Amino acid sequence: MIAYLSNLATQVAIFGILAATLNFILGYAGIFSIAHAVFFGLGAYAGAQIALLLVPDVVLACIVAAAIAGGLSLCLALPALRVRGEYFVAASLGLQMVAVTLFAELKPLTGGIGGLVGIPLPTLFGVPVGVLPVALAALALILLATALLARGSFGRTLTAIRDAESAAEALGKNVAAAKTLAVGFACAGAGVAGALYALHTSFVNVESFTMDYSVLMMAMVIIGGTGTLWGPLIGTVLLLSLPAALAFLPFLPATEVGAVQQIIIGLAMTLLMIFRPAGLVGDLSRGQTTA
Amino acid sequence: MLFLQLLINGLQTGAIYALTAAGFALIFGATRIFHFAHGTAFTLAGYAFLFAWRADWPGWAGVLVAVAAATLFGMAMERFVYRPIQRHEGSFFTVFVAAFGVGIVVQNLIGLFAGRGLATVDTPLSFGTEVLPEIFVAPILWIAIGTAAVLFAALTVFLTRSHAGVALRALAQNPDLIRTYGLSANGLSVLAFAIGSALAAPAAIITAMTSGLNEAIGHQVMLISIAATIVGGIGSLRGAALAGLMLGVAESLALQFVDTQWAEAVSFLVLFAFILFRPSGIFGVAAAR
Repeated sequence: MIAYLSNLATQVAIFGILAATLNFILGYAGIFSIAHAVFFGLGAYAGAQIALLLVPDVVLACIVAAAIAGGLSLCLALPALRVRGEYFVAASLGLQMVAVTLFAELKPLTGGIGGLVGIPLPTLFGVPVGVLPVALAALALILLATALLARGSFGRTLTAIRDAESAAEALGKNVAAAKTLAVGFACAGAGVAGALYALHTSFVNVESFTMDYSVLMMAMVIIGGTGTLWGPLIGTVLLLSLPAALAFLPFLPATEVGAVQQIIIGLAMTLLMIFRPAGLVGDLSRGQTTA
Repeated sequence: MLFLQLLINGLQTGAIYALTAAGFALIFGATRIFHFAHGTAFTLAGYAFLFAWRADWPGWAGVLVAVAAATLFGMAMERFVYRPIQRHEGSFFTVFVAAFGVGIVVQNLIGLFAGRGLATVDTPLSFGTEVLPEIFVAPILWIAIGTAAVLFAALTVFLTRSHAGVALRALAQNPDLIRTYGLSANGLSVLAFAIGSALAAPAAIITAMTSGLNEAIGHQVMLISIAATIVGGIGSLRGAALAGLMLGVAESLALQFVDTQWAEAVSFLVLFAFILFRPSGIFGVAAAR
């Protein structure tokens, strides 16, 4: 039971990082990426390779993963600079689909469909360490950074860009730099989550970085509430406890749990958009600011 | 010889892409709704045909069921998802997420009830015969190209000659004026969804007969439709259809150099290049807004 709870807590922390970073570009900067799982995957492969080839040091793996995912985030930043809305969603959808093909085909780097197995247990400066405390610390750091960035001038610039890009530019804001930085930060964060995930499960393959996962992350943010600090975290907890809750339903065959879970997520997204577009948390905080 | 064979295959794929893309472009052009569940209409039509076929229904009944499934789905989306959303806010993102959610639900329902993985309809129509040395052509090629040509001719006549068609084009340009003239913008919107979704049905049937369906095919269809709409230039039906045809041919010709799993990447690279260098597309006017 303890092992189960600790596993669940680690998952929540890792996906919490993903949801929080996705929320940063989606909720604050208005960049609707459906390719977040790509950067999660990049970080996971980078972290796994570091652990396999060099040392399984958590901090080193996270730094390398963040650097690689952040560096390659230019793939996402470039179209984000040129276009917005529909066009950008199309570009990120394409990026997601091509990346899955790449992950499955680049066997020397990613192990292909079989993935990378036997990733050694994580250490910290040579001392064995669990993933959970590191993941929690990383989540806390990311949340803190999000809160600080969102409150500071950078966050204000981003929300200004989201609401009226030309107005922000007219006021002398460097739109291109702000967008690139925001995407870089979010993707680097996803990379850290990926490295932690690789060390936690000691096995990575392309299955975890498909479009389904990008959608799951997006659902976490949307169901919790975009543009809020705690919304994505609440969405993460809700969606990750869903499989556990479904496992208690005796009439459901185990093979169909995944599909039923996806159906619930899809329904929740559609119904929320029709009846409560701000998400579960969004409306509450919005009410507070007007009161 | 390989080149010619790939070109023929490409034309067949391209005809399918052109039909789906034109449906998407028609809906987007007339209503300004980014109908992200267009791929879902395609999937539903394909599986409706598959079930009719497996139940030994005659071919024409299967086609009717498929067209009905796609059309009803499109109309239901307009009525029960997009209209309520547009009533209160209707930002692009809200519309997109809602449509996306519907797509996920349908994809998994099909996975639950129809089984996951590749599903094809075997017909003698898709068996190739050697017409030239080393060149194989199946009757389905002529059906695909013929269907696309006939439907485009019909669509052009409809949009230019009939009252409803002219009104649809007017809706694309000025929805407020439509209301002033006493026409129902809502009714026209439903019409656009019905016609646009119906266009996906023949494409889905031909796909079921050739390369086969799977429950997640909607994503791929969406990517192609969006890519064709953007490459062709938003608002241009002809552009979308032409770009769809081009993407099909390009994907097929690329097989001369790369393996099949990269075909999709070709479409994406074309789209990426257009987004970076010419976001207004081939036929689009540079967006002033």
